Amino acid sequence: MGKRKLAALEKVDADLVSLQYKIRRDPKSYAQEFYDQWLAYDAQRQIFIASPSTASTDDIKKFHDLVDLIAHVADLYPDLTAPYADHLKELLNQHHAILHTELREKVVGSLVLLRRKDVIDSTSLLTTLFPILVSTPSKTLRSLLYTKIISDLRESNSKATNHRLNRTIQTVLHNLVTSDRTSKKGMWATRITRELWRRQIWVDAKPCDVMKEACLSDNEKVVVGGVKFFLGGDASREEFEDDSSDDDVDIRKVKHQTGINKKSKKRLKAFEKAVDKVKKQERKKHQPHPLNFSALHLIHDPQGFAEQLFQKHLQNTKNKFTLDTKLMILQLVTRLVGLHKLTIISLYSWFVRFLTPKQAQVTSFLASLAQATHNLVPPDAIEPLVIKIANEFVSEASATEVAAAGINAIREVAIRQPLCMTETLLQDLVLYQRSKDKGVVMAAKGLQSLYREVYPELLQKKFRGKEATMGLKSGEVRQRKFGEEDEGGIDGIELLEQYKEDQRAKKLAELEGLPEGEAEAKKDKMDEDEDGFNSDEWEVGSSDSESESGWINVESDGEDDVPDKKRQKKDAEGGGDAPDLVDAEMAKVAEANRISKLATTSILTPADLLKLQELRREAKVDQLLGNRSKKKKELIQRHIDEGVTADDIELPATLGKKNTREERIALAREGKPNRDEHKSTKAIRKSKKEAEGKSTTNKDKARKKNFLMTMGKARAKNKRSLTETKKALTLHVARSKNGGRRRNDS
Amino acid sequence: MGSSNRKKKEKKKDFQKAKLKVGKAAVKAANFTDTSFKSKSIVVNQQTLAGDGTDSVEQFKQTLASAVNAKTDNIRRDALSYLINQLSGKPPNNPVGTAGLLTRLLPLISDSATSVRANLLKLFRVLPPSQVKPHVEKILMYVRGGMAHLSTAVRNDTLDVLEWLLDVAGDETVSCPGGWLKTLNSLSSMLGWNPSVGSALSSQGWTSGSKTTLVGTKKGGEAGARQIHVLARLLQTGFQPESPIPYNPQAYWDNIYRLPATPNPFAYLNLFGSPRDEDNEMYPDRISRQRVFDAKWRSVIVAGMDGAKREGGLVGRAASALKKALNEGADAPITSPGSLA
Repeated sequence: MGKRKLAALEKVDADLVSLQYKIRRDPKSYAQEFYDQWLAYDAQRQIFIASPSTASTDDIKKFHDLVDLIAHVADLYPDLTAPYADHLKELLNQHHAILHTELREKVVGSLVLLRRKDVIDSTSLLTTLFPILVSTPSKTLRSLLYTKIISDLRESNSKATNHRLNRTIQTVLHNLVTSDRTSKKGMWATRITRELWRRQIWVDAKPCDVMKEACLSDNEKVVVGGVKFFLGGDASREEFEDDSSDDDVDIRKVKHQTGINKKSKKRLKAFEKAVDKVKKQERKKHQPHPLNFSALHLIHDPQGFAEQLFQKHLQNTKNKFTLDTKLMILQLVTRLVGLHKLTIISLYSWFVRFLTPKQAQVTSFLASLAQATHNLVPPDAIEPLVIKIANEFVSEASATEVAAAGINAIREVAIRQPLCMTETLLQDLVLYQRSKDKGVVMAAKGLQSLYREVYPELLQKKFRGKEATMGLKSGEVRQRKFGEEDEGGIDGIELLEQYKEDQRAKKLAELEGLPEGEAEAKKDKMDEDEDGFNSDEWEVGSSDSESESGWINVESDGEDDVPDKKRQKKDAEGGGDAPDLVDAEMAKVAEANRISKLATTSILTPADLLKLQELRREAKVDQLLGNRSKKKKELIQRHIDEGVTADDIELPATLGKKNTREERIALAREGKPNRDEHKSTKAIRKSKKEAEGKSTTNKDKARKKNFLMTMGKARAKNKRSLTETKKALTLHVARSKNGGRRRNDS
Repeated sequence: MGSSNRKKKEKKKDFQKAKLKVGKAAVKAANFTDTSFKSKSIVVNQQTLAGDGTDSVEQFKQTLASAVNAKTDNIRRDALSYLINQLSGKPPNNPVGTAGLLTRLLPLISDSATSVRANLLKLFRVLPPSQVKPHVEKILMYVRGGMAHLSTAVRNDTLDVLEWLLDVAGDETVSCPGGWLKTLNSLSSMLGWNPSVGSALSSQGWTSGSKTTLVGTKKGGEAGARQIHVLARLLQTGFQPESPIPYNPQAYWDNIYRLPATPNPFAYLNLFGSPRDEDNEMYPDRISRQRVFDAKWRSVIVAGMDGAKREGGLVGRAASALKKALNEGADAPITSPGSLA
């Protein structure tokens, strides 16, 4: 658009920007001027609409400027400008394909501006922009609309969640996906939903439903969008959260700068902004963590969804999706199966086809198979698969990587469903620990150690190991039947009990130091407070009538009982030692007692739960250090949470392989400062410091000081008298005592 | 000392001989031009518009383009003069047609240069009226835009264009869609006699004086008088009694079987345009114009006129002319359709 130069005198008059400024300063007095411009806008609009495609650049420019002016002051004259928003919407709806780029951008921007000034509401804005986003062929317009839509949704949800708006938009998106399953338009629904999910603006089940529908679309891109959301949406959400907390401000630095730099309104504002941000971050830190469910958990009817996905995209032989897409869908299906313990029997027979070493990306298939296995899958369904893997992958003739991956895959399956193994097969596989390849050895050993714990009878006696053999003898280790589940309980409740006991013992020990009578009194009081260390804070526990009644006495029985205590102590210590039969029996009983006691006889206070969490965390550290079986349980838990990947399957094959030179160099370089040129570590540190905007040390400053500037002082130093020298030296000593600071007087 | 050392070094550098090294290309001279590239097209930054002038059609088009697009005022003005010459010749030379000419030139109504606007008006005056008539609606749009322009000079010059339009196609001007009410609206807004501004604001300002930009200065008074004068002309044209159409026995059959002679003969049905509101509606005959004027504008304009009359001078004289026009409109036999209804 060529902009014509204006004559100097005219400029004063014909400047819409200054008019806008004046109107906003004093809307009443400039009503007439505004009305003139409104008429001009109206005329220009008619000129434009009469022939939108052939309008001259001059006309477009004029129209652009007038649209801009009116958008900025529309809120001041609501009666006059009532039809304005509708004009813009109509313009955009009818002519978005032929509008000049700048004008189009201006119209969209003006609509958003009207929204910000509360002239129109979000719903009407979004319902205008969204259809255009979906239908326009222009890429720039699409990206513009997309950012505007996202930012408007963010804005309207910033103070409080705007449920009505969210529901409207979610319904629109849902309809978009479901109305035409073959079209590519559903991609926008997935993009918007994913972005808002990432920003935690939408966290409920409805967006998951939209994505669910997207997964069931016929268009590959839409399907990929939906599947990726379920597989990675939560991870990206967490990542985003970490990112947003990263960009914190250094308040000390800002303070320092404001102290030094010239004071100006702008700087003051920047300072206030920084303070606000820091305060906000502090507040955020103390806020309770928002309860965010993963998208996989929010799916309604996962069984039906998984079945549909499987039948539509995987089982259907007419489907022409690429292998990558199919693998992704498979991952989602198997994640769902593993997570919700679903039963899709035909899934397992479908797998058979792909379990050959020649299949592309077979490790992903193996990982998916492992994911799809859980303890409620009938062993009959998996057994043929395990045998097939063993036959195809594990043999003397096959490559070592293949064998390692095969054994590892079998192990991953067996972790989840140990009953899938036959005796002969296991014994055969375990023998691979005699192999020469380290990867194969490690995989076979892993399988062996797994079965030592879950089902040692299947192993040959010589491979069972000491613990398993003893466990078998004592009956401690026994085979789980199909469908058998652990009894439910509160995880870590025994830790809490132990903790409480310790606290009590400590108090008792203190009391022993006190005079007799006092100690008794205190002991009695403690007995009454038995049910919680802070029972006063908790209404239910501290009601007097209850503590007077017999309830508490029952519970406190055990603690005062000396032999009982001893017994508990013993099993606390003797857990790791080789237990004899009787002791183990007793320990079991004690354990059972303990669980029933705390959880069933008292109400856990919030403080209790906090402590419980803390103890659990501590215990986790222990588990990492030792205690293998718990470690494995955790591994399964982790896999249920995060899924098995192809990397997990390939891992043992990489063992014992030497890295190439480049890999080794990269490994050594990792985490070290970047060395483009040869430089000392000191110099690198210094440049880093400078880049961060930090100051140099006094020493550095002294070194860099211009020689000529120091010359005068040096000369004067030579000419000093003895007394002057002495004075200077004493001052120097005094300064060093003060930590190098100069006083004001000296 | 330090800096002078540096300067010395820099100076020396200029006169140092570049070292030649074995196996390396010689250093390029400072004024070396790289000619190794190949280009399919050459972009010339400055192009001259001078042609040999043999093809008059081509030259006409070129001049038209420069009248619209040239950045310099004088070029635009001169181009317009050339066009005027061409159009006023006998026979007039207009290879693009009046419609094409108007489409290109109408945006110039709100051109920033006075001389350009003056030439544009001259050019309009040499256009054949019969060919202007079909485009009245479009011209009016630009006229309305010009009348609401920020600069007073542009507004006043636009009034000239409106007057020209009333001269050449008065009937079409007042009867085309939006031609009656919208033009009235623009004119009264210029004068500051505006009912919608006061109502648009929640409360009236503490001063209710008329528009400050018009009155006060001597020039403002002149401009005001002129605006009132144009308003009077518009009303006169609108209220002109229609001459009865002579009886034509063939009219009925022509209506049914002949192709209509005028462009867009069914405009009043608005078959293809967007739906019109009251302002955009067309008021094809005198009675409908009078009725809508009485309903919407008479009170406002009479009030404004009284104020202007009291002012006296040029404005007052113009106001009395306006009163005359109003009276003419009022005494017309408007009552007959009213009594029928």
